[in-house]
Amino acid sequence: MPHSSAIAPAIEIRGLHHRYGAREVLRGIDLQVAPGQIYALLGGNGAGKSTTLNALLGFLAPASGTVRVCGIDPAAAPAEARARLAYVPESVALYDHLSARENIDYFLALAGAERGRSSVIDPALEAVGLPGHAWDKRVGGFSKGMRQKVAIALALARHVPVLLLDEPTSGLDPKATLEFNALLATARARDVAILMVTHDLLSAVDIADRIGFLAEGRIEEERTAGPTGERFDLNALHARYANPGVAA
Amino acid sequence: MSRWFAELRLIRRSYLSLWSLALLFALSALAVVSGLQHVARQHATIERVAKAQAQDFAAVAATHGKPDGDAGDAAYYSFLLTRDAPPPLAFAAIGQRDIQPYVLRVRALGLQQQLYDAEAINAELALPGVFDWAFVLVYLAPLIVIALAHDLVTGEREGGRLRLLLSMPGHGLWWRRIGLRYALVMMALGLPLVAGTVLSTAPLAGTGAMLLAAALYLGFWFGVALLVGSAVQASATAAAGLIGCWILLTLVLPTLANAAITRAIPAAKGVDLTLAQREAVHRGWDIAKGDTFERFFLNHPEWRGREAFEGRFHWKWYYAIHQVGDETVATDVAAYRTSLLAREQWSARAGYLLPGVAAQSVLHRIADTDQAAQLHYQDSVATFHTTLRRFFYPYLFADRPFTRADFERIPAYVPRAPTGSLPLAPLLALLATAALLLAIGGYRIARVSGAGRA
Repeated sequence: MPHSSAIAPAIEIRGLHHRYGAREVLRGIDLQVAPGQIYALLGGNGAGKSTTLNALLGFLAPASGTVRVCGIDPAAAPAEARARLAYVPESVALYDHLSARENIDYFLALAGAERGRSSVIDPALEAVGLPGHAWDKRVGGFSKGMRQKVAIALALARHVPVLLLDEPTSGLDPKATLEFNALLATARARDVAILMVTHDLLSAVDIADRIGFLAEGRIEEERTAGPTGERFDLNALHARYANPGVAA
Repeated sequence: MSRWFAELRLIRRSYLSLWSLALLFALSALAVVSGLQHVARQHATIERVAKAQAQDFAAVAATHGKPDGDAGDAAYYSFLLTRDAPPPLAFAAIGQRDIQPYVLRVRALGLQQQLYDAEAINAELALPGVFDWAFVLVYLAPLIVIALAHDLVTGEREGGRLRLLLSMPGHGLWWRRIGLRYALVMMALGLPLVAGTVLSTAPLAGTGAMLLAAALYLGFWFGVALLVGSAVQASATAAAGLIGCWILLTLVLPTLANAAITRAIPAAKGVDLTLAQREAVHRGWDIAKGDTFERFFLNHPEWRGREAFEGRFHWKWYYAIHQVGDETVATDVAAYRTSLLAREQWSARAGYLLPGVAAQSVLHRIADTDQAAQLHYQDSVATFHTTLRRFFYPYLFADRPFTRADFERIPAYVPRAPTGSLPLAPLLALLATAALLLAIGGYRIARVSGAGRA
C-alpha cells in the first residue's frame, strides 16, 4: 500500500537521540508510519532497533527528539500511548498453564477491557488462523509460530491503531513466515500502522511498504514500494543491507 | 474488577500458588485445632484438680473439724485451689501457658516454696515452643509469602513475559498481584482463626486485633519480598535472599537478642527462690524461737504478746517461721520480678526492630498469655495467700478452736481479672516497618523497566 503524506502518521519519530552511558545508540532517527502502512526497520545487531522500540513503548525517555504514538508522547503518558498500541515481542512468551483463549482474555483484562471479551477473542483467533482445536489448549505446548498467532490475535482483539513487532519472523520456518506475513496484510487492511524491526530482509521485502536501513544509530536510507504495487529490487536491497554505512 | 478477577484466575491456575495457600490454610487450621485441644486439656486439668481438691478438702474438714480442732492442723492440711483458666484467645497464642503453672494448690505455709513447682517440671518445653496459630504466623507464614512473591518480577522476566506485560496500558499490575496474594494469605491464615474464635466463643474484638497484627506482620514480609524481588535479576537469587532474611529475622537475630537480654539482665530462677525460702525455714528450727518471733513482729506487730506457748512446738511458731522465710527472700523475689519485667520490656523494645518478636509479643499480650499474665496470676495467688494467713492467724495466736463451721469460712480463691490488651507501641512499630518496606519496595518495583530484552 502506498504511503500517503496526507494521512497523519500513527507513529512519528523525529530527531531521536539516546545514549546508554557514554555510548550513543540513537543518533537522530526520523521515521513516520501512517495508518495502513507496514514499515520494516532493518538493521544488524546493536544498530538501535530495540532502543527505538523501547522509546515507542515508553520504556525509556529519549535524550532528545520527539516520539509520538497517535500524537501521544509515550515517555510522558505511557499508559495513554500503550492503550493505542500492541506489541509483539521477538519471542512470544505467554502463561504456559493457560490456554490461548485464557491468555488473550487475561491480557485483554490487563488492557482494561471490562466485559464482552469473549466476543472479540474467537474472531481474532479465527482471523490469525489458529486451529480451533488449539484454542482451549495450554500454550505451553505451542510452537513459536502458534504463539505468535496468539499474540497477533491479542493485538487484533484489542483493535489498536498501532502494532509494534520485534523480530517477528525470527525462528519461523518459511511456511510460518508466509502465514505471518498474511496476518500482517490482514492487519494492514484494517488500517493498522505496523512497525516491524527485523533483520529478515526477505520477509521485509515480501510485506513492507517502506524499508528503513538502520546502522549505527541512524536511518541511513529509506526505500518505498512502488506506487503501483511494484515490490523492491531484492538484489539491490541485499547489497545495501550487506554494506551498512555505504550510501546507495 | 476485571483486572482483579484476571489476576485471581492466574493464581488459581498456578499449582505453586494453590499448594502454598492450601498448605498455609492446613497449617493454620491444624494450629487452631491444636490450640483448642491444648486449652481444653488445661480446662480438663483444672476441673479434675478442682474435683479432687473438693474431696481432699472435705476429708480434711471431716478429720480436723472438731469442736476443739486445732487451726494449725487445719491450715497445714488444707490445700486451697487457685487456678488460671485459659483466657478465651489462648488457643491462638498459648504463650507462657505451656511452661508456667496454671493450677496451684496453696496452703498457709511459705508462699515462695509453692509458687514455682512447675518451673522444674516441664521447662524443656520452652525450647521448641508450642505449635499454635502465633507460631504459624510468625515462623511459617513468611515462608509462604516468600513462595508466593519472590518471583513476582523475576518470574516474568525469566518467563519472557515482562516486556509484553509492561507494554499493556493501565497501572498497578504489581500492586494488584501483591494485594491479591496478601488477601489470600490473610484468608488462609485468618479463616481458621475466626472459626476457632466462634468455636471457643472468644470475643471477636480480640480476634480482630490479632488479625490486625497479622496483617501488619505479613505486610512487612510482602514489603521485604517486593524489595528483594525488585533488586535482583533471577528468581533463585530472590528466593535465596528472602530465605536468608527469614533466617536472620526470625531465627538468628531474635536468638541473639534473647541471649543479649538474658546476659544483660540476670534473673534467678523461681526454684532458687524456693530453695532460699526453704533454707530460711530450716534455719528457723535451729535458732531461738524468740529471734523468729522478733523478726515476725517487725511486720505483724498486732500479734506481739501472743507468742508464748508451752512445750517445744506450737503451730504459731511454725507459721511464723514460714512467714519469716517468705520475708527473708522478699528482696530476692522483688529483684526476680523486676528482672523478669525488665526482660519483657527489653524484648518488647527488640520488637521495634524485629517484627517477628513484635508480632509474637502483641499476640501473647492480646491473648493474655505472656509473662505479664503469669505474674498477674502469681500476684493473685499471693493476695489469696495473704488472705489465708490473715484468716488463720487469729485462730493460731488467740488459741481459738477451729471447728467444722470454720472450715466453711476459709476464704476461696478469686481468679484474676483478665488483663489482655492491645499494645499500641509494638503495633505502631510493626505498622511503621511494614509501611516503610512496602513503600520502598513499591517504589522500586514501579521502576522496573521493560527496556531489557526479556
